[in-house]
Amino acid sequence: MVEAVYKFFNGALPMEEVEGLLTGYTPLICEGVFREAYLLSKDVLEPVNILLKSGKIPYAAGMYVGRLRRREPYFIPSTDFLQYVYSSLGRVFKALIVGREGLKPFLYGKDVLKASVRKCIPPIKKSDIVGIVGEDEYVYGLGLSTIENCNEISSLRRTDPVAINIFDVGWYLRGGTEAREKKYRIE
Amino acid sequence: MPGLEEISDLYGWLKRRIKVSRKALRLSNEFGYRPYMIARYKEMLGTWNEVMNLLQAFEGSLNPVIRCNSLKVRDCSRLFNRLEELGYTLKEIPWCVECAELNSNEGVASLGSLHEFLLGLYYLYRGKASLLPPMLLNPGHKDRVLDMAAAPGGKTTHMAQIMMNKGVVVATDISRRRMRALRSNVERMSVHNVVLVRTDARNIPSIYRAYFTKVLLDAPCSGEGLIMVDPSRKAKTSLKELLIFHNLQVELLNSALDAVMPGHTILYTTCSIAPEENELVIAKVISSREDTVIEPVDPPVPHVKGIREYFNIEIPEEMGRCARLYPHISGTEGFFLCMLRRL
Repeated sequence: MVEAVYKFFNGALPMEEVEGLLTGYTPLICEGVFREAYLLSKDVLEPVNILLKSGKIPYAAGMYVGRLRRREPYFIPSTDFLQYVYSSLGRVFKALIVGREGLKPFLYGKDVLKASVRKCIPPIKKSDIVGIVGEDEYVYGLGLSTIENCNEISSLRRTDPVAINIFDVGWYLRGGTEAREKKYRIE
Repeated sequence: MPGLEEISDLYGWLKRRIKVSRKALRLSNEFGYRPYMIARYKEMLGTWNEVMNLLQAFEGSLNPVIRCNSLKVRDCSRLFNRLEELGYTLKEIPWCVECAELNSNEGVASLGSLHEFLLGLYYLYRGKASLLPPMLLNPGHKDRVLDMAAAPGGKTTHMAQIMMNKGVVVATDISRRRMRALRSNVERMSVHNVVLVRTDARNIPSIYRAYFTKVLLDAPCSGEGLIMVDPSRKAKTSLKELLIFHNLQVELLNSALDAVMPGHTILYTTCSIAPEENELVIAKVISSREDTVIEPVDPPVPHVKGIREYFNIEIPEEMGRCARLYPHISGTEGFFLCMLRRL
């Protein structure tokens, strides 16, 4: 889990900072349609262990960290985890800061266009997962970068996409649901 | 007068004793209720004047309520100001500083799709009575809480907020569809101290026997207290169906008692004013076990005590420690709250 998070941030976070973020938590990996990761505090771990010993599985537990994948992108964080990282460290990185006029269509599943990008915060490369962050510093979703680096934005037209919508916080309201048949193991 | 334990066929007993008078029939036609419901209201409230007050309150509307999520919002007054800028008129709720009541039902649909809502900065309720159970149970940082029938998660996320994401809440629901809503709300509101388990809550003691320090059982019910938001409930539930709820509620409450540690508390609530789903459930359970007592509960809204007699059934005196919220008295949806302690 530490390695997946470290790699995700393209070295923007030193390993000790990543370890610090996960300290005090136990990872729970769910193997199902997707490979999903959760972080469990000590208080949450105990009832999860009791549940697993009884032969049952939790539907979800603790903090949902995101999906682990076998190919790129190897890790897709949840918006909640990304918010946790930014809030805990007090800084935003690997993200696009998007104006309110761009967030509105984004929350309907649309992509982020150059016209609404207020700021590009590296490290970003093409096909990277980046945080889509409002000027209020809340994480509104995740995008797949279409640019090789932040400098490339200046050469784009206003209507060119900078990030493809991967997930946004309006997804559930639009009716997005998925079956999650699960197998868990505690690492 | 017999106690509930002496009545083997509760349905037959009630069926024989619920007499629909001409006045009850006239009111049921006028307001669109099943006649037996009006006859029950007279038995519960005592006078036709009170019955009329209740029926008229049910014809009114309920002001929606928001709870600012202090797990994500540092200063709730800024959120409230933002909503007022967007045109919503908010009114303080004196007993819940992080909450506000909307002054009317206008624009409520859009409150569930604002950016601030999608970000999990607040939770939206149909009425303010739903805020009471987490506040009265008041779980602390070290508690192990069971929330039975938890979806869609208003009370689960509220308890997590009170606990500041410490301790743990095991939240269960039986429905796959409702479980998705629960998970979505938990993630949206950055709740990190919850274990979600999709199961029939009656199975919980086989997994967690005498494990929890607090249990919230907001029992599945007929929703007879929610007629202002869903008038179809005036005619939805027959007496027979009401007693199916009663039997399920008795089983769930017994499971709650088996899941809580001795010496600890269970809060039983419903959004129903039906004695069959409230006092008769508690009476049935405490008469069948010797390890349970009723503790006083004092919600911060006008309320009345639990009823003591119902169609010639004697209900234990300590039921007066439970609280009934009637719309015409409390200004909330109809609700019932009862705190129990396992000895």
